Amino acid sequence: MKPNAARVALIIGVSALLSSLALAQGANTTPGQAQQPPENESKAQSRENLPNAPSSGKTAPSLEDLGFPPAEAQGNAKEQALLDRRTHMLKIHQRMGLITTIPLLATVITSFNAGGKSTSSSARDLHAALGGTTGVLYFTTAYFALRAPKPPGTESRGQIRLHKTLAWIHGPGMVLTPILGAMAFDQKSKGEKIHGIAQAHGPVAIVTAGAFGAALLSVSVKF
Amino acid sequence: MNKILVALLMLAVPALVSADSLWALEQSTLTYHVSHPLHQTEGVSHAARGKGICHAGTCEFLIAVPVKSFDSGDSNRDLHMLQVTRGAQFPIVTVRTELPESASGSATIHADLQIQFAGQTVEYKQVPFELAADRKATRITGTIPATLSDFKIDPPSLLTIPVKNEIPVRVEMTWRSQ
Repeated sequence: MKPNAARVALIIGVSALLSSLALAQGANTTPGQAQQPPENESKAQSRENLPNAPSSGKTAPSLEDLGFPPAEAQGNAKEQALLDRRTHMLKIHQRMGLITTIPLLATVITSFNAGGKSTSSSARDLHAALGGTTGVLYFTTAYFALRAPKPPGTESRGQIRLHKTLAWIHGPGMVLTPILGAMAFDQKSKGEKIHGIAQAHGPVAIVTAGAFGAALLSVSVKF
Repeated sequence: MNKILVALLMLAVPALVSADSLWALEQSTLTYHVSHPLHQTEGVSHAARGKGICHAGTCEFLIAVPVKSFDSGDSNRDLHMLQVTRGAQFPIVTVRTELPESASGSATIHADLQIQFAGQTVEYKQVPFELAADRKATRITGTIPATLSDFKIDPPSLLTIPVKNEIPVRVEMTWRSQ
């Protein structure tokens, strides 16, 4: 081979090598691939049966070609952990809320026999006990909703807003109802007719239970 | 003479691997559908970006969309969706496919899709799409028959009842040849 021809062949070879290296590097630095499971293996396995499956050809576009900055394509384990914790706490909130519904309904049902003129009544005691149980479960449920972490910058949209708004009604109601109930219970135990602010126990309880039920429905049924 | 020849050859080598034509995603609407006995929910994203590079009669397409760009109309549901799909860890959904360049003239195409989502790579074979060409723009519509189990996603539940496994994704895209 003549020296000039050899030089030309060498330059072409180096040029082709550099071109292919540059393209291969471009394909390998696709941001998405860093966070995804080994892709080459699954591609190679599945492509056998796919007549027009995407190849790892040198002309394939990358995430960078689409204008996604590497930071946007990178996974954030800390944020994922926060979301996991949030979901875990809200699942408990949801379950506890459903469980709370049972003694709440029982308290409402037993309220019909909790009155009467006698100073002592087992139905009244049962109503009070169920009310107390409801209160404990309710505040445990509320704790998991209030303490669930929220990603910064998240604004509430949709039916969850109604769910949260209703908490401003049943929350204070769940504080007031047992206080008023205890006052009414005390007055009844002394043989007195229920008087003063204790008279509001029933209406407050109805509004509270209604708001609680509506809050439950607001995240269960789409309207 | 040799120098000119060398220069021409050096220019020619990269040109050999350059694209014949390009496609850019102009507009898109991706809609996932989730079924629950109490709810029928849809999440919509218009944030997909896409590019197609054609060479030697074959076009390689990449479409990518941030997971958090899907809006179902309820922020709590969207955050839950982001969590179950591990959207913070794997923030971008990518779809790759390869089609013959001549497919742009067809009314229907069947594409083999390679989807990376929630840390999994799944192939969907022969997914039908309708094409409507209008000068340089081509509108593509179709539905990807995705399921939660394909991507190893635990089905979210409401009132202890899990959602259906099927989460079909409606695709409406307008591509423009460049």
